[in-house]
Amino acid sequence: MIYAGCDLGVAAAKVAIIDDHGDLAFDVISYKSPTPQAAVDAMANALAKAGLSGRKIDRCLSTGLGGKVVPYSDGVAPDKLCLSRAVRRLNPRVRTIVNIGGQSTDAFHIDSKGGVGESAVTDICVAGLGMFIEVIADAIDTPLDELIRASMDSRNPLPIASQCVVFAESEVISLINENCDKFDIFAGVASSVAARIAGLVRRIDVIEEVALVGGVAKNSIVVRDLEEKLGLRLAGFNGVDTQVLGAYGAALVAREGRDLSTEAISMILAERFYGRRKQ
Amino acid sequence: MLAAGCDVGALTTKAAVIKDGVLIGVEVVRSRAKAVQSAFDVMNRLLARLVLSYEQLDNCVSTGYGRSLIPFARSNMSEISCHGRGAHWLMPSVRTIIDGGGQDCKALRVDKHGNLVDFRMNIKCAAGTGRALELMAESLGVDVSQLGPLSQEARDPVILNKLCCILTQIDIKRLVLEGRNRADIAAGINESAARYILQLVRGLGPRNDIAMTGGMAKNIGVYRYLERALDTEFVKFPVEPDVIGAIGAAVLAADGSR
Repeated sequence: MIYAGCDLGVAAAKVAIIDDHGDLAFDVISYKSPTPQAAVDAMANALAKAGLSGRKIDRCLSTGLGGKVVPYSDGVAPDKLCLSRAVRRLNPRVRTIVNIGGQSTDAFHIDSKGGVGESAVTDICVAGLGMFIEVIADAIDTPLDELIRASMDSRNPLPIASQCVVFAESEVISLINENCDKFDIFAGVASSVAARIAGLVRRIDVIEEVALVGGVAKNSIVVRDLEEKLGLRLAGFNGVDTQVLGAYGAALVAREGRDLSTEAISMILAERFYGRRKQ
Repeated sequence: MLAAGCDVGALTTKAAVIKDGVLIGVEVVRSRAKAVQSAFDVMNRLLARLVLSYEQLDNCVSTGYGRSLIPFARSNMSEISCHGRGAHWLMPSVRTIIDGGGQDCKALRVDKHGNLVDFRMNIKCAAGTGRALELMAESLGVDVSQLGPLSQEARDPVILNKLCCILTQIDIKRLVLEGRNRADIAAGINESAARYILQLVRGLGPRNDIAMTGGMAKNIGVYRYLERALDTEFVKFPVEPDVIGAIGAAVLAADGSR
């Protein structure tokens, strides 16, 4: 049997394909705005990579911002469940997941069976979180990869006073016009983002190991600053791209429920896996 | 006697010239990176159109975020004073002014002479500002100027309940993806901005007559929502609502040189 997961997110469509024995293929398509077609294209790419072009998927679950509109999906699985399944599979020692993605910004515990425990979420203000970085990188007008690489060596990170991204954007533009070094500016932004993520994590107990997932996990300067602020090493995933974890988890959930009807899965998902919220 | 005002805003820069108590010209340009460049841009253009030179101006007052940097201004005043003075000079019955700018929104009260009594403004968050509206319009895939007209066709406005405009952008993208009616989304965007502005106005305690200035007043959806919520018809100005700060600065310049 072949199972798939599709995560139609804010910034990219991700597809994972697995079978009863192991992992087959992943694909990621980035975009400005999500469309159902991107999910279709990512699936076609992943099938081709797995050497299964034209083959029918036995069960596919979707997740993420556009989970409901993935045309070939058999059901929608909650983001937290997908992430916890994927993380448990790749690194069973993880007990705290910090998810700083496009759509959600939360930290939650998972137990040894993969159940979701206490969680904390930022849903009032995006200050200092994932999207902050993208907006600032746009304002600095330099590719994110280059900014991250060069800012690692900054000796003089510039603090940004504004909490609000919109105000921070114009603050950064003013700093650039005053001829401040753009890598010092970016290092300051990364440090403030790391401080706010650390604050979010501390709202629940910091139980090791701690895994950082979502787009920010690829930002090595934020990862470094966060490790420093939490005083620990973040868990690794043996080189698996953290961006595909949601899709991979959806595929794992599809495989777990292979003997159940789609409706039965949906009901179980809704009842069991939404964790307790702590504001 | 010639008096000029220059309002260097976050998104646009405005200028106005008053001759012997009569408004003779206004100009608006998109703001550039440096306040000084924007100020010269707009003033050069306006003076050229009026066939005037900087030397002929008896006084000039600057306002806006870059107001202390403008070389041709003799003095500078806060945006709050200028919007209050400008609105009252144009429409003397005005007591409450709601100003929606590019990166700020504020509500202020003036007395019967146009002097400032009290005000409220946003400090930490861009909710209810023009830039927030622009970002949300971007997620819907329309120009910010279309939000007003588009929202008038709405039948069942969506509810966008998040304060942060960046988080709201994500909600908008999901609604677009799920195929919600675009007019309904546009109406939801206008209401989310207007709700925040309304909070400021309620905090201030509005008195009639009420008028709206700043670029936000050009959005018919926001304008009507606030009129309905405050249960009054706003006073209309004979000029575009975004140049009233610059006109106020020019009035204060004329006051100062008398």
